[in-house]
Amino acid sequence: MSNPWIAVGALGLVSVLVPLGMMAASALIRPTVPEQGKTAVYESGEVPTGNTRIRFNIQYYMVALLFVIFDIETVLIFPWTVIYRDAVSQVGLTKALVPMLVFIGVLVVGLVWAWRNGAVRWVQPTTSDRRQTET
Amino acid sequence: MLQTLQISGTAALAPTLVLGVTALLLLLIDSIDPEESSSALLSGVATLGSLVALAAAGAILVATGGEPQSLFQGQLVVDGMSLFFTFIFTSVTTLVTLASYDYLKEFRYKAEFYTLVMLAATGMTLMASSNSMATAFVSLELASLPSYALVAFLKNNRGSVEAGLKYFLIGALSSAVFVYGISLVYGVTGSLQFDAIASELGNTGEGLVGVLGVGILMIIGGFAFKTASVPFHWWAPEAYEGAPAPVSAFLSSASKAAGFVIAFRVFTVAFPQSTVGVDWVLAFQVLALVTMTLGNFAAATQENVKRMMAYSSIGHAGYVLIALGALTGSANQAFVLGAGMIHLVVYGFMNTGAFLFIALAEYWGVGRTFEDYNGLAKQAPVACVAMTVFLFSLAGLPIGGGFLSKFFLIAAAVEAATIGTYVLAFALVINSALSLFYYSRVVKAMWIEDPVGDFEVGGYPTGLYAAIIVAAVATFLLLPALGLFTNVAVDAAASMIQ
Amino acid sequence: MAGAFDFAPAIALLPFGSFLVALFLGQYMPKRGALAGIIATVGSLLLSAWVALTVAGGETYNEPVYTFVAMGENPIQFGLLLDQLSALMLVIVSLIAVLVHVFSLGYMNDEGETGLPRYYGELGLFTASMLAFVMSSNLLMAFMFFELVGLCSYLLIGFWFRRDGPPSAAKKAFLVTRFGDYFFLIGVVAVFATFGTAQFAGEESFPHLAELALSGEGQVTTMFGLGAEAWFTVVGLLILGGVMGKSAQFPFHTWLPDAMEGPTPVSALIHAATMVAAGVYLVARIYGFYALLPTALAVIALVGGFTALFAATMGVVKREIKQVLAYSTISQYGYIMLALGGGGYVAGVFHLTTHAVFKALLFLGAGSVIIAMHHNENMWDMGGLKDKMPVTYYAFLSGSLALAGIVPFSGFWSKDEVLYETLVHGIGTDGGLGVVLLLAYAMGLIAVFFTGFYTFRMVLLTFHGKPRSDTARNPHGVHWNVKGPLAVLGVLAATVGAINLVPVHALVGSVPEFLHDWLYYGPEMLNGHHYHELITAGEFGGMSAGELPGLGETGTLFASAGISLTVALAGSALAIALYRGDSPVEHTDRLGSAKTVLFNNYYQDEYQVWLAQGLTMNVARAADKFDQGVVDGVVNGVSSVSLFGGSRVRRIQTGIVSNYATLLTLGLVALLVGIGLMGGWF
Repeated sequence: MSNPWIAVGALGLVSVLVPLGMMAASALIRPTVPEQGKTAVYESGEVPTGNTRIRFNIQYYMVALLFVIFDIETVLIFPWTVIYRDAVSQVGLTKALVPMLVFIGVLVVGLVWAWRNGAVRWVQPTTSDRRQTET
Repeated sequence: MLQTLQISGTAALAPTLVLGVTALLLLLIDSIDPEESSSALLSGVATLGSLVALAAAGAILVATGGEPQSLFQGQLVVDGMSLFFTFIFTSVTTLVTLASYDYLKEFRYKAEFYTLVMLAATGMTLMASSNSMATAFVSLELASLPSYALVAFLKNNRGSVEAGLKYFLIGALSSAVFVYGISLVYGVTGSLQFDAIASELGNTGEGLVGVLGVGILMIIGGFAFKTASVPFHWWAPEAYEGAPAPVSAFLSSASKAAGFVIAFRVFTVAFPQSTVGVDWVLAFQVLALVTMTLGNFAAATQENVKRMMAYSSIGHAGYVLIALGALTGSANQAFVLGAGMIHLVVYGFMNTGAFLFIALAEYWGVGRTFEDYNGLAKQAPVACVAMTVFLFSLAGLPIGGGFLSKFFLIAAAVEAATIGTYVLAFALVINSALSLFYYSRVVKAMWIEDPVGDFEVGGYPTGLYAAIIVAAVATFLLLPALGLFTNVAVDAAASMIQ
Repeated sequence: MAGAFDFAPAIALLPFGSFLVALFLGQYMPKRGALAGIIATVGSLLLSAWVALTVAGGETYNEPVYTFVAMGENPIQFGLLLDQLSALMLVIVSLIAVLVHVFSLGYMNDEGETGLPRYYGELGLFTASMLAFVMSSNLLMAFMFFELVGLCSYLLIGFWFRRDGPPSAAKKAFLVTRFGDYFFLIGVVAVFATFGTAQFAGEESFPHLAELALSGEGQVTTMFGLGAEAWFTVVGLLILGGVMGKSAQFPFHTWLPDAMEGPTPVSALIHAATMVAAGVYLVARIYGFYALLPTALAVIALVGGFTALFAATMGVVKREIKQVLAYSTISQYGYIMLALGGGGYVAGVFHLTTHAVFKALLFLGAGSVIIAMHHNENMWDMGGLKDKMPVTYYAFLSGSLALAGIVPFSGFWSKDEVLYETLVHGIGTDGGLGVVLLLAYAMGLIAVFFTGFYTFRMVLLTFHGKPRSDTARNPHGVHWNVKGPLAVLGVLAATVGAINLVPVHALVGSVPEFLHDWLYYGPEMLNGHHYHELITAGEFGGMSAGELPGLGETGTLFASAGISLTVALAGSALAIALYRGDSPVEHTDRLGSAKTVLFNNYYQDEYQVWLAQGLTMNVARAADKFDQGVVDGVVNGVSSVSLFGGSRVRRIQTGIVSNYATLLTLGLVALLVGIGLMGGWF
């Protein structure tokens, strides 16, 4: 058993054989009682209406995108605030503060643009749209 | 983390900063009145920004003489190579923004278009300066993400949207391959910075050469995606065909060059052939051969001019790959790399010009097939002369710089004097001959065939014409003036190889 | 300090500027671009004179200006080579260019021609190319400008493209010279392949490398298994192809008489003084190469001597004044070739100089006569113009005396030196080369007779006797812009021989031989002294100077001068005897059947047309058959294979993105496995 990969292979083989063996054993010994209730999606008795592929209103997507942007912004700003004091004492105020201001400034430009272009304006769907989106 | 810009550092990164600031400025201009954006203002700002960046790159190159300047603890490096390519990117960007003035007149989201172009250009200049796997990956993404959106810019055109999505999916896959490759290389060498990787190569553990090799090949995959080389080229024909023609011009010229510059740097600085122990030269030889052959053969059977140009662009990627495939130990390495750089400069002008002519045809509403170009020369002789210059130069006839740059590639490959490079040189000749066949189909259609119907061109758009003529003059002048570039290119390559 | 050499590029750039100005702005200028041309050429002339003075001060210049292809150790560059030879030629070319531009005011502007901006533009481009050719520092650059002057010549011959004659003449000139240039091009490539460089001057120049190789000190690559000398001779003869085309030497001379369809100032500038000189100038430029090769020298001398005689005989029967001059030009360039082949480097350059002056003068004089005759060129319609246009007459006479070689006009001194050099080298050299030189000398000497004859026939028919037509009785007047250049050249034609009075020098040592000294003390390996050493060295040229038996060196010199002067006088006297009097008659009938042969130019055109149509067409047809059948078959086969392959490739591009992802991954895996297996990673 010089090659350790043989053990790895054996493990893989066993991990495939065990579930297959169990499924085969239960298929051999269990009784089969077909019933309509068992094939329903929710066995709790809830009857599904329509299928799973619903369209969400696209405007949620915009909100989610904006959220991601702010989220990442926070993730970057947070560690910065933690070391800010030390950084100021080490490299001075300008070098510690200005890059972050530039970063936030760039994001602000993006936000202003998105705002002006109506990214946060919630458009009321018309009735025909509503039926599509909310059924 | 808090490494700050030094004065010299800021100055050295001026082209990148100018492009980035221009992008932000365009967003701000658009924020003033998103509904009524002035085409002239936006196009003017974008063109001016790229021209300033072009001038800055030239000024820095002259001022420093291409002396490498390391920035951010070696994460970025500004040297002759990066400035040379910045020159290519900004030239192409200038042409594209200038031409888009007319092309975009009828569209609504102009500011977004220019911003995305500027951001992509920023990413490309950063790629040229990247000196570590991390910055390489981030800047590659910065260049790629705006490109996806640009390809899908024609929101109501199914072809454009579909192409954008395909481009994005293949891009995501390729990025995954690329970043996986980076992680493997990091795992073996323990560093991300190129020079540090090179110095660690000798100390890799026994048996890790395979892991390193897989990593290197996957990194090649990432670059192959950016340069539209086989087998990562699948996105290219569709993306170039579906995208608005100025975007096709931008992607096929600048984006391709960006992929090459980072490849040149990674493979000469991080994985020098003498120490790496992985035969990536052979991999590039195979890729170059397959890419140029496949590109040209597929181009020969197209009916659609834009798609033909897309495949021809793949073929040209194969030609430039010779620059990496001929980096054998016996080669004059600076000359080999320099030949690739020269070809990219010339290609930047002639290919952009050719796609801009297609943009002009789209502007006029001419159809897309060869037949639709019949008799165009009677209506627009100047543009057709320019297009003829582009196509013949692409084919390598001595009417433009393409002749000399191909000649350099052949000379470089022959000088390397191994069987592989001889095969490459031979393949280049054969493929160029084949390419003449399909390029001249367009020329024949324009000049010789009679127009099918009575078609009138709709006006002579100033911006597009200006861009096409500038590109044509540059292509033509590059034939005698290529001497100016050869020295710069070879010196830049030599200083990078050391 | 910026010296003359720093401004030397401007010598060529100024006329180039005038080309652009005349072409694009000429329409809006008062003289349609003529002024721009005159200003530019005067500037070139001044700069050339400055360069010549600087060169006279002992400085020379050989530097690259622009590197065209920076590759390997011997980059392909544009450079300037300014030495005694090129400085002299620069002055000649720019001087004639100035005078021709001024003359054109009278010939073109005053005659109300259209298309003048084009004319002056082409003239400017020609001048620029010619000057750049003269300054070229390597063979490739020389070739490029050689072709450019050929192009300008084509454009200018066909200036009146709406008539029938000029376009066809232009085409003929272009094709015939191109035929020669093919050999030249192969020669340029051969020089590159052999020596790796095409520089004219310096340690790394190809004549020097050839010299080293022949003396066994250097190594070069030769082709086809030939020895060094044999291969160099082949290369030299290939280059000579271009020379013979450009300088209209037999058998490529046929284009020059037809080129007279162009405007006369153009004939003066291009087809007499400068472009035609480009060929022989090239031989002089790389004389250090030819001097090594006795066989090539023999060919040059033989071609030159034969052409001199051959063309002179045809000039005897011509009726149009410009035709006579055209054949005379061919014949005189034959002399220059004869001199160069016969080891007379200085003599060749001397005759090149004097000929440029007096032939330009004769053409301009002919132009003046043509203006006066309302563009009738037939000499039999002229006569008696002597009294009507005295300035033209005396200037023309000065040129004619020079052409005929009558002492003391310039042509005498130079032609005499040509014949003398050939004679002494012919006598002194043993073996085949000596015989060939003597043969060539004999032909050159007989040609002197014909030269004297046709020259005075032309003068007498044009200016003397009674007017034979109405226009000759009432000639059109000419202005100062015609007379001025004629006067300048007339004086020069009489006196320019003073720069090299060899026989006088032999008698009175204090009379200097300016040109001789000028050319002998050039830069290292580019001077006449070095050429003389090469010519006389046993392992290279193998010539040596001899003398006529019993006369000594000086005696031979005077004997030679006396012979050629006597022959020239005899020819002139015969012409005067036959055509003097008030109403001369044609004597050509006395020639019998020779007349027909001469009128038909020895059927040269016919055989060349037969070559083109009878032979080449058939060969072309056979080649076409081969091409259609075999080559096209192969090509079609290849292209159908590639198209088939292309359509296969096209089919892989299904448009389904998941297929792409699969193929992409498979491709990467294939690459990984392939490289991995070869690299032994597994």
